[in-house]
Parts: sequence; structure tokens; C-alpha cells
Amino acid sequence: MEYLFWLLAGTLYGFTFGIIPVAGAATGLITIFSFLDVFRADPYTLVIFTTALVVASTIGDSFSSVVMNIPGASGSAATMVDGFPMAQQGQAGRALSASIVTSSVNGLIWGVLVFVFLPMYAVLVLKFGIPEMLMFLILAFSSVCFINSEYWFRGIIALCIGTFLGLVGLDPITGSPRYTGGWDYIANGIQLVPILAGILAFPELIEAYRKPHEVAKLESKNPWQQIWQGFVDSWQHKWDGLRGGAIGAFVGVIPGIGGSVADWLAYGQTVALNKNEKIPFGEGNIKGVIGSEGANNAQKATSYVPTILFGVPGAPFEVIIISLFVLVGLELGSITLLSDTKFFSTITYSYMLSLLITFVISIFFIRYAVRAMTVPFKYYFWPIMALLLWSSVQYTGYWEDYLMFAICCVAGLIIKHLKLSRAAFIIGFALSDQLEKIFGQYTALYPWDGVFHRPISLTLFVITVIIVVYGIFFNKSKISYV
Amino acid sequence: MKKFAFALLTSLACTLAQADYRMIVPQAPGGGTSVWANVVAPHLARVLGEPVIVEHIPGANDIPGFNRFHNSLQNDPKVIMVAHGGNAESFLTDKVDYNYDLYEPIALVNLNILVSHNKELDPFKDHLKFGSTSGRRPDVMAIIMMACGPKPSVDAYIACYKERMTFVKGMKPTDARLAALRGELNITRETYVSHKKFIEPMVKEGKFVDWFHHGIVDLKTGKIVNDKNFPKTPMFEDAYKAKWKQAPKGDFYDSYVLVKNYRDVLQKSLWVGKNNPNATKIRGSIVAMLNDPVAMKAIEADGGDYEWFVGKDMTRAYEVIRKQVTEKRLKNLYKFTVEGMGLDAVYKPELIAK
Repeated sequence: MEYLFWLLAGTLYGFTFGIIPVAGAATGLITIFSFLDVFRADPYTLVIFTTALVVASTIGDSFSSVVMNIPGASGSAATMVDGFPMAQQGQAGRALSASIVTSSVNGLIWGVLVFVFLPMYAVLVLKFGIPEMLMFLILAFSSVCFINSEYWFRGIIALCIGTFLGLVGLDPITGSPRYTGGWDYIANGIQLVPILAGILAFPELIEAYRKPHEVAKLESKNPWQQIWQGFVDSWQHKWDGLRGGAIGAFVGVIPGIGGSVADWLAYGQTVALNKNEKIPFGEGNIKGVIGSEGANNAQKATSYVPTILFGVPGAPFEVIIISLFVLVGLELGSITLLSDTKFFSTITYSYMLSLLITFVISIFFIRYAVRAMTVPFKYYFWPIMALLLWSSVQYTGYWEDYLMFAICCVAGLIIKHLKLSRAAFIIGFALSDQLEKIFGQYTALYPWDGVFHRPISLTLFVITVIIVVYGIFFNKSKISYV
Repeated sequence: MKKFAFALLTSLACTLAQADYRMIVPQAPGGGTSVWANVVAPHLARVLGEPVIVEHIPGANDIPGFNRFHNSLQNDPKVIMVAHGGNAESFLTDKVDYNYDLYEPIALVNLNILVSHNKELDPFKDHLKFGSTSGRRPDVMAIIMMACGPKPSVDAYIACYKERMTFVKGMKPTDARLAALRGELNITRETYVSHKKFIEPMVKEGKFVDWFHHGIVDLKTGKIVNDKNFPKTPMFEDAYKAKWKQAPKGDFYDSYVLVKNYRDVLQKSLWVGKNNPNATKIRGSIVAMLNDPVAMKAIEADGGDYEWFVGKDMTRAYEVIRKQVTEKRLKNLYKFTVEGMGLDAVYKPELIAK
């Protein structure tokens, strides 16, 4: 019964963060730090809550994309391109329905493939030694710089800054303080929560706060007809949706890169494979909505694979999942967790049931979407800010926590203004410690060319090279920054 | 301004709502102390009559969690620090903020560690690969003495260590376990509770062999005695004598005894801040838990049958190992740490027993 409560609570909480413009899964997850204690007595309640939150916010984030022309999260930005023109033409219900059905169906397909079979993938961990882990981390760093954005050089700069800041604190090898500039507050390292709140969430909230309030109309004559039409569209253009799902699933397993990449790649493929459309893309073509939304939940599901098996985030939001889980006693990527059957069954049931519940809620919510969207953003802004602030001042509770939060918020605005990749910054910050340790372990146990003598690490090296070449010469991503 | 005040008030309301007892574990989940704390917490909660949650604050060498207790959490009347052997070892030679003298003692459990190795390994001939995590210097020193045999000086042991062992730095207990399972490391060590959970199955499968354990410190005499929890595995001193036909001795061994005793006597120690108004209640609950045969049977089934020392008994137990800190032992420990293992260390003459 308690688990059912947390499932419903997570679904509603996630759905709320999904429909709030720009908030999305990441912001919702960050706010959990402010009430994390309620999950400590039973860590599996956190697994349920976060999984439901991710699923529900991923489906919910299409509402503000379609109705307000503001992405609910970065993973639904491409949905806006055709979704909002459809809404302006009085077809918001149809666009939302198609988006929800496609996202849910692909979420279900890839969710089954991931979560039901995940314990079987766990044997991979025994094949994944230190050289493989080293290459996997380098692959994550490369992906986040070279795929996430066309500005790969700025990605590298952001990655380097994030990595350096992640190394501030105690040297993991010697235990001695380093790079602290004499500030004792950061002697044990810069805390992740203010970094996430300030760099990832705050700039988006400010942007949404400043953006003029724009809401499209919803044809109110017969909304159920539009919703049914969305179901029909999803079936008629199922291959666009399934292709989007496959692209999203592929992007999800590549460590470090997030929903926006999957979304735009899927949208790009839909456009490329559907020539001479009666309604041009960008002017309200339903295939544009279906193609991009196919990737949305599929990417979220598969991004759990590297996260759970290796403790390496499959997407930036997984950084938050990893740190939340550690604080309640669940270490992703550890042998303890991989042999924990309760963990696997909990996450599987949470994912499937929350998907089902969110689907039903979303379909019924379409009728009221516009009314909810008329609430000006300033009424969302302050409660979210209060939660972010509270999450960030849990470390010591003293003034330095507030100062660090302020520094991170200002840094977030600067990084966004300079179009440096915030995803690269966060991944660099979160994985620097792990990279340093793994590199030290690798040099202690293997010769320098050890990665080239093992098939898995060699394969990962080749993929990394392909990603770098693609990023430099071929990546024409529409995402100027993430 | 009004809006900012609103945010602050919201924060304050959340603070007041936070009321459970928190056991602070300074390591990542899956470590021996984390497993142990999760075994004890439900029983303690029952006798306290209030929920007890286990909170992890991991970080380099498990130091940040204890530092955070020292710097900010110790004033919280519902925070119980679960320090472990690695913290005690770091206290001897690392730059740390925490200091055992400054807190209210609650209880300690005098524990032991067991060293196992890969079945294929010949520890007297092959190169030894051992993963570092916090609290492993006594294991390294014992393994080196076992592998190298009698040596005339600390320098000779340092030379042998450099020749015979790769000490893979920067690993968490879970990393080290996984690396041992994959065969990247060939030696591992665990407390009773984590040995039972992770290594015992591998021993049964014939992949690992239990080599020796460190024994228990008799807190009346200060001497090391056998551990009934590991009846099939010899104590280090006995295993050494069986192999090298003499008892271990010398400066290196003396330093080993110092750091081993610090680590194992303070292997699981519970502290609260000075003048904590709940200290008496928590100690009373521990005593009640120790007197509850059902709780203790459950704890011993998972955590082993080890002696607990509560309150003043804990202070007396701590005094036994404090008296063992001599200038020579501390200097040689520092020397081996810096010159042998290549770790940063601080020589702390203020710790030398008066």
C-alpha cells in the first residue's frame, strides 16, 4: 500500500513538473533533495518515486511544448516545431494525444526491453573490467561534447571546467585537500546539489520567467474527437514513431547524452524520410510530433542501462538519480545492487505502472491543458525556487550554502549566455572523480595500450573515434546548447 | 524581498519537520560499515521507540562524512556518527578535522578483518594485487609480512612491498570486490558481515581461499587474541609462525599492531556531539538492545558475535589503544605510508601517549 502511495505521488509530482514549462524531470529530481529524508527508512520508495517522476514528467513535458511553445523539458523541444503550429490551428488536442500515445507506446516497448531483461544484462558487468570502464567514461565525455551540440569546442571547454571543479576537495588517492584556495567549506568537494540547481535548473527558470506568456487555443467543440484523431494518427504513422523510439533507445544507452539529442535526431530523420508532404514540416505536420515524441520515453528507459549497470549516467538527469540513490544506500553499478532482485522488480513495476497511470491521466488532462497553461509562470517560479534553494542548503545549513547556491546560479546564467554546454559541464563535474580513480587503477594494473588488447574496450575506443569525427565534421545539430 | 523571505520560511518549516534519528555512515552504500549500520538500525529504532535512518556521506578515504559530522552535524541531537576503522586509521596519519576526544562516546564494537586471496594465487611467489579503500594499511602491512617473511628493518619491508605488491589506489569497497571477482585483483579483505555476504559464496565456489584474520584486541590486556567467529581461518600471528617458523616481531610489526588496533577497536564506533541531550537515552537504548536476546541473535547472525563497549567502558577501551601510540610506532607508520605506499600523510606527535 505504501509503495502504491509513492507510485501515485511520484506520478503526480512528475506530471506536474512535466507540464510546468522548462521544469521537466531534472528539476523535479533536484527538488527531491529537499525532502529526501522521507525515503531513507525504505530506499525502494525512492526508486518508485523517482521512476514514476521520470516517466510522468517525460510524457507531461509535451503539454507546454504544444500549447505554450515552451519546451516542458529539453527532451520535448523538437515537439514544439510542429506541435505549436497545430495548436495555433486549433488542433492542440490532436497533437497532444498523438504525442502522448507515441511516447507511451515507445516507452512501453523499450521499458520492457530494458527493465524486464536488465538482470540478464548484469552479467556484462563481469566482462567490464577497468580498461572497459575507462573507455566507457571517455566515450561519455566524447558523446556529451561532440554529439550534444554543434559547438563541440565549447562543449570541451565546459567539460574541462566541470571536470576541474569536480576535482576540488579531497584527493581520492591521498585524502589531502586540493584546489580549495584555502576555503574550508569546499575542502570535502563542491557539493553536487547547488551545481545541479544553479547550472541546470535556474537558467531555464529565469528564461521561462522572462518569456512572454503565450497560449494557443484548444478547439473545444469536440475535444474527444481530436483525441481520437491523435490515436488514429499514431497508428497511421506508427513507423515514424517506432523509428523515433529506436533512435531514442540508441541515444539513451550512449552515456552522457540526453533527451534533446534523441528528440532532434528523431525529428531530423522523420523530416528526411518524409518528402513532399502536403503540410510542410514546421507548419503543423503531425508526423513531426510523432517522430520526435517516439524518442522521448524510449531514451529515458534505455538511459537507465549504463546508469544501473555501471553507475555511469546515461543522460544528465541520471546524474541526479545516481546521487539521490547513493544517499539512501543504493549504489548504482555496484555488485550489491546488481544482485538485488527487489531493486530490479521495484524499478520494473514502477516504470510500467507509472507509464500506464500517466497515459490515462494525460489523455483526460488534455481537455484541461489550456486552462492549466493559462497560469502565469511567475506562480510556478517561486515555489520551485524555494525547493531548489532548500535542496541546496542541506549541506551545512550555514551562509556558505546560500553563497554557493548564488554562485552556481550566476555561473549557470553565464554558461548559458556563452552557449557552453551545461550537460558537458555537469557530466564532467559528476564523473571527474570516477575518471581520475579509474585512470589511476588502469595505470597501476595495465600497460598503456591495454585497452587495445581487449575486444570490448577496443570497440568502445572505435565508437569514441567515430563520435569525435562525426562531431567535428558532420554534426549539424539544431541544439546550440544543452 | 518578500518572496525571498517566503523561500526562507519554507526552508525553515522543512527543517523543523525533520525529526528522525540519523546514523551517519561516512562511506558509500555497500561498504562494510554501511551493511553493519543497516543491520543494527532497525533494532536500535525499536528500543529507542523512534525511527532510525542510515544516511551515507561518502567521500575520499571516507573522511568527508566524519569531517561533516565534526563541522556541522554534531550539534544535531538526533545525529549519531557511525565511525569506522578507516576513520581511526586516518586519524593517526591523515589531515582530518575530526577528533575522537571531542565527542560523547556511545558505543563501540571491537571487530576483526579477514584476508582472502584468489585460489590460483601463490601469495609467497606471485605478484600481489590489492585494492585500496579506507582502512587497509593494516592489511597491506600484514600481507607484506606474510609474503616477505622476517626482515631486519622498516626499509627492508618497504623495498619488499615495492617489489611484491601493486596497491591499486582510489577504489571503493564495492569496486575492489568487483575487481577481485573479475580477477583483476588477487587479494581481498572484509569484515565478518561483508565477508559472509560477498566472499563466503566465492570461497564455497572454490574461487577464493581465506588466508588469515587479524584477531581481536583483548581490551583488558591490550593483547591480540583469536576470533571465535572465524574458527577455520588462522590468526595472522599463527599463520605467520606456521609459515616462517618464528613469531612476527620488530619495528614494522609494532607499527602494524598500532594501526591494526586503532582500526579494529574503533571498527564500528558510535558518537554524538558533546552535551548531546539525547546521549543518555541513546546509550540506554543500546544497553537495552544488547540485553534483548532476540535483537542480539539477529545482529550476531548477520554481524558476528563481537563484544560491545558502551559509554564509560568505551572510553576505557579507547584508552587502551591510545596508550599504544609511541613515537617510534607512529614514525614508522608514517614512513611506510609515505615512502612505501606513496600516500600523503601527516606526522602527528601530539597523539603520542604521555
